[in-house]
Amino acid sequence: MSVAVAKAKSDQSDVYEREELLNGCQAVAHGVRLADVDVIAAYPIRPYTEVMDALSKLIADGQFDAEYIIADSEHSQFEIVKHASSVNARAFGGSSGTGWMYGMEALVVTATDRLPPLFVVGNRALDDPGAFGVEHNDAMAVRDMGWLLCWVTTPQEALEHVLIGYRIAEDKRVRMPMGLAMDGAFLTHSQHMVKVPSPEAAKKFLPQYDLAERRLHPDNPISVAPQINEDWVMELRRQNWEAAKRARGVIKEAYKEFNDVFGERYSAPYYFEEFMTDDAEVVLIGIGTVAAPARTAVRRLREKGQKVGYVNLRWFRPFPTVELRECLSRFKAVGVVDRDFAHGSPDNGGILMHEIRSCLYPAKQRPAIVNFMGGLGGRDLSIADAQKMYDITQQAAKKDSMDGFVTWIGLRE
Amino acid sequence: MNAMVETDIRVRGAVETRSERPKLSVKDFKGRVDPDWCPGCGDFGVLAALKQAIADLGLHPHEVMTISGIGCSSNLPGYINAYGMHTLHGRALAVATGAQLANHELKIIATGGDGDGFGIGGNHFLHTMRRNVDLTYIVMDNQIYGLTTGQVSPTSIKGMQTKSTPFGSVENPINPIPLAIAAGATYVARGFTGQQKHLVELIKGGIQHKGFALIDVFSPCVTYNHENSHEFFKQRTQKLEDIGHDPTSFQAAMEKAYMWGDVIPIGLFWKRSDLPALDELEPVLAEGGSLAHRPLGVSPQAAKALISELM
Ligand SMILES: Cc1ncc(C[n+]2csc(CCOP(=O)(O)OP(=O)(O)O)c2C)c(N)n1
Ligand code: SF4
Repeated sequence: MSVAVAKAKSDQSDVYEREELLNGCQAVAHGVRLADVDVIAAYPIRPYTEVMDALSKLIADGQFDAEYIIADSEHSQFEIVKHASSVNARAFGGSSGTGWMYGMEALVVTATDRLPPLFVVGNRALDDPGAFGVEHNDAMAVRDMGWLLCWVTTPQEALEHVLIGYRIAEDKRVRMPMGLAMDGAFLTHSQHMVKVPSPEAAKKFLPQYDLAERRLHPDNPISVAPQINEDWVMELRRQNWEAAKRARGVIKEAYKEFNDVFGERYSAPYYFEEFMTDDAEVVLIGIGTVAAPARTAVRRLREKGQKVGYVNLRWFRPFPTVELRECLSRFKAVGVVDRDFAHGSPDNGGILMHEIRSCLYPAKQRPAIVNFMGGLGGRDLSIADAQKMYDITQQAAKKDSMDGFVTWIGLRE
Repeated sequence: MNAMVETDIRVRGAVETRSERPKLSVKDFKGRVDPDWCPGCGDFGVLAALKQAIADLGLHPHEVMTISGIGCSSNLPGYINAYGMHTLHGRALAVATGAQLANHELKIIATGGDGDGFGIGGNHFLHTMRRNVDLTYIVMDNQIYGLTTGQVSPTSIKGMQTKSTPFGSVENPINPIPLAIAAGATYVARGFTGQQKHLVELIKGGIQHKGFALIDVFSPCVTYNHENSHEFFKQRTQKLEDIGHDPTSFQAAMEKAYMWGDVIPIGLFWKRSDLPALDELEPVLAEGGSLAHRPLGVSPQAAKALISELM
C-alpha cells in the first residue's frame, strides 16, 4: 500500500499507546473503546461475532465502560442502536451477511432519520447456501439508502476508521449512518501488528457527539420520524441527497485532521489509494483484501517491465466521482474486480464495475474496461489469479470489442 | 450408501403398494451425512429419539418432513433420511406452516434451537401455536447459542456467565412450557436427552397428536454451557408420571410448568384434543386431498365455466 504506517512526528510520539497483535475484529473493538462509544447493541453472526465478543471482553476486563445490550435479533439490535443515537448516545452495532439483511428495515430508517451510528459489516456471502466466506453484497445493500460506506484492508485501518467514521458521520453537515465494511475471514480474522492510539489522542481527534437541536431529550420535546405522507417526502429525499454530497468534503477534512494528530497516515485523495500507478498503462481496481494479491502481482509484473498498477477503492458512498474519474482516465485499460454480483445487470457485470463505468462516461479520455467476478463466497483470489486479470486487462487495452467483457476468475468448470 | 439405495427402493415400493408396506427400522432413517456436532452433544440424543419415534410409528421417509432454522441443532434435517429443509435463522415454523398447508398428509417436524425458536423466531412461535398448526416442534434447548460459540440465549438462566454476559445475565429467561400452554399449543411436553425411551414416547405422542405439539428438550451443549449439563439435569429431572400429574388440567399443567429447582419435571404437561388444527379450518382442504397432489392452477374447463358465468 502506498500509505505505510507513518512514523509519528516528534511531537506525536505519544499518540500511540502500544503495539499489539490484533485481528480485524479485535481492532474494531479497540476503535469502539477509543471512540468512547456509549451504547453497543449486539447479536452474533459470523464473522462479525468476534467484534461483539472482543467488546464484551474489554468491558469485562475493566478496560472499557459502555452499555452493552444483547438483542434477540439483528432487527432489534439495529433499532436499539438507532434509538440510542437519537438520544445523543454514540452508538455501535454490526453484523454480517444474512444478519445484515434481516435488519435491513431498521438500517433504512436509520439513514432516512439522519442518525449517525457506526456499524461494522464483516462481509459474508448471503444465504443460501450457508457459507461464511466474504462477498460484498451484504454491505452493498445499503448503498442507495443514504449511508456512508467504506472498506478497510488492514486491522490498523479498521481501528482508525472507527474514529474517522464517527468523525464524518456525526458532523452536523452529514449526520448519516456509517457502514465500515471489511472482508470476512481475510481481514476480520487475520492478525497484524496494530498501533493502538492513546485515549488522549483519540479524544483530540474525535469531538463529542452532539445531535444538537435533533437530540431527543426531556428538555427538547421533539418527535422523531412523524408520519408526513406525501407532502414532504421529496424534500426529505433531497436533504439526504445534499448530505451525501456534502459528506465528500467532510471526508477530506476528517483525514486531514487525522493526519494532524497521528502523522501522515493517509494521503489525498483519501477515498482511494493508488499503488505503482505513476507510469502505469493498465490498472486493476478492487475493494478490500484483494489488494494484497493484486499488489504482489503488480510488483512481479513490474519486474518483467510491465506498466501495471493497482487502485484500492476505500470509499464507496459517497462515491468519489470526480477524483476517480480523473485517476482512471489516465490509463489505457481498467480491470474492475467485483467480489459481488449483480445478476442480470447491464452486460452482466458486477456492482463496482457499473459504478466505475458510469463514473467514467463523461470523461474526455475513457479507458477500456473489463470486469472480473472473483472470490465469491470467500474463494481465494491468488497472486496467479491477479496476474491473469492483468493479462486479460492488457489484452483489452488493445482490442475494441466487448467479447469476454466479464471473466469469472477461479470458477470450477 | 448401499443401505440408502435399498431404503429408497423399499420406500418407492411402499408408495406403490401401501397394503404391503414394510416396517422400517431406525437404520433406514440414517441420513447421507454424519452429524458435525461435538462429541457428547445432546443433539445426538434428539436425532436418535426422533428416528426411533418415526420408525416405531411405522412411518416412511416420504411421509415425513423435517424443517429447521439455523444453529447447531438446526442442522438436524441433513442427518435424517426424510424430506428436509434448512431455512433461515428463526424461520422454521413459518416455512413449516406453509409445508403443512401445502401437504397436510405429511408429518411435519420442525426442529431447532432455543435461540432460533424463542429468540429471533419468537414471533412465529407464538402465532404457530395460536393457529394450532398440525406439526411437531422439537426444540433442542441447550440454553445457549451453540453455533455462534457461546452467547446468552433466551433460555439462559438468570445470572449465567456467557461470552456476551461476562457479569452474568441480568434477564429473566423464557419458560417455553407455560408460554406454549397460554399461547394455544395443544400438546406441550418437555424431554431430556438423558431419558431416551421417555423422549421417544413424547415425540411419538407429539407426531400422533392433531395440532401443534411442542417438545422442549434439555439437550446439553457440552462445549459452551457448563452449568446446565447432562449431570445437572440427571440429578434434577423427574417424570411427571412419577410425580403425579393430569395433563388435561390447565391449572395443574401451569403449576408444574413453573417448577424449577431441585425437581425439574419432564413429560407431558398439557394436552387438549377439542380444538381444530388450522388445516381443519381451511375449507379448501376439506376434500380432495392435499394441495400438493392436486393439479395446480385453473383447469381449461373451470376457466371456461368461469368466463361463461361472467360474460
Ligand atoms: C439472521 C441471522 N442472524 C444471525 C445468525 C447467526 N446465528 C446462527 S445460529 C445462531 C444461534 C444459535 O443458537 P440456537 O438457535 O439456540 O441453536 P444451537 O446452535 O445452540 O443449537 C445465530 C445467532 C444467522 N444465521 N442468521
Ligand atoms: S457447540 Fe454445543 S450445541 Fe453445538 S454441537 Fe457442540 S455441543 Fe452441540
